[in-house]
Amino acid sequence: MRFVFRLLLMCVIALGVGFGLSYYALTDGRMFTVSQLGPWTAWPDVGAPNPNPYTRAHLTREAALQLGQAEGLHLVASVDSAGEPLSRNCTYRLEGRTPQATFWTLVATDPAGVNVAVPDGPLALRSTGIVRENDGSLRIHVGTRLAPGNWLELAGEGPFTLGLTLYDTAVFTGFGATGDTMPAIVREACA
Amino acid sequence: MIRTLLWAIAGVLLGGIIHLVVILSMPLLAEETLWTRLEGLNAENRIVILPPVVAGQPNPLELDPELIYGICRIDLAEGPAYMSGRLPDAFWSLAIFNSAGVVTYATTNRDGIGQTLELGVFNAAQTRLLAQQQLDIAEGLLVVEATSDELFVVIRLAPPHAIMRPRFEAELAKVQCGNRGTPS
Repeated sequence: MRFVFRLLLMCVIALGVGFGLSYYALTDGRMFTVSQLGPWTAWPDVGAPNPNPYTRAHLTREAALQLGQAEGLHLVASVDSAGEPLSRNCTYRLEGRTPQATFWTLVATDPAGVNVAVPDGPLALRSTGIVRENDGSLRIHVGTRLAPGNWLELAGEGPFTLGLTLYDTAVFTGFGATGDTMPAIVREACA
Repeated sequence: MIRTLLWAIAGVLLGGIIHLVVILSMPLLAEETLWTRLEGLNAENRIVILPPVVAGQPNPLELDPELIYGICRIDLAEGPAYMSGRLPDAFWSLAIFNSAGVVTYATTNRDGIGQTLELGVFNAAQTRLLAQQQLDIAEGLLVVEATSDELFVVIRLAPPHAIMRPRFEAELAKVQCGNRGTPS
């Protein structure tokens, strides 16, 4: 009887560790290959010709048109700089600088990847179309409620994710005048 | 108690093996991959412009709403593949995907190519033949050696303003691609 109990215990632990670790590696994955810059995360190996097994599994899971390493890098944030999940019940302010890139775009999507910007407004913000502060840094408001300056207007409610795509960038290479700094995501008012 | 602990440690080790098997086998077992998603586009030897992203609609390929995407499927078993054309004066990039969804080659127009796109894609045997013939490669022609025959070439084009999108899409659609109908 004790043998059966121990066998069951071993099987439960093995399945829990095996599948749990795999799920973690392909969703959060910070202990594996995902790089983190503040609230932003990226798979730096995703556009490489010979990605590591974790990135290869991630590519299979996403089945999306990823950027090649020479093209740029896509970073994602599902939490703000304080670690709280992004919600359309709140408004957020992005402030700071982005790494050196020819240009970048900012989009908001729901957990299923659907763009959650208002249908009759811009679906994304682009670096060439925003107003900058006097020192060259950026300040962007994201949310469903009217905001001054650069505003990515969202629709609906529920959680969302911000995606910042840097085209022709030197991030994670150690080159570039601005270094690997990303804008902070500061939560403002919530409904 | 110690024996139970040993069984638990064995469970952790077995879990590690299961984890490795899951990660390594996922690309082999997946039924819906990037390749299957792109196969239905009917892009054999021609450029197909992907429809723009619409708010509130699914975007399984995770396209950037600001960009225009042109896709061409090539098969090097039918011979070397070519892409030839002139793109508008704006940022564009090119990536070659293999059937596993891995980018095997990528470049941008910032790498000194400018507006002219002249690309030759060869497999290993074709590259060897090309080298043996000692042909002069025209300046600006990109020669890419691919490790597999079945490939997708994806061109991303960034129109500076949304109003320019139809004209840029038309320009991108003019790019010649494939084993046939390309310049000699």
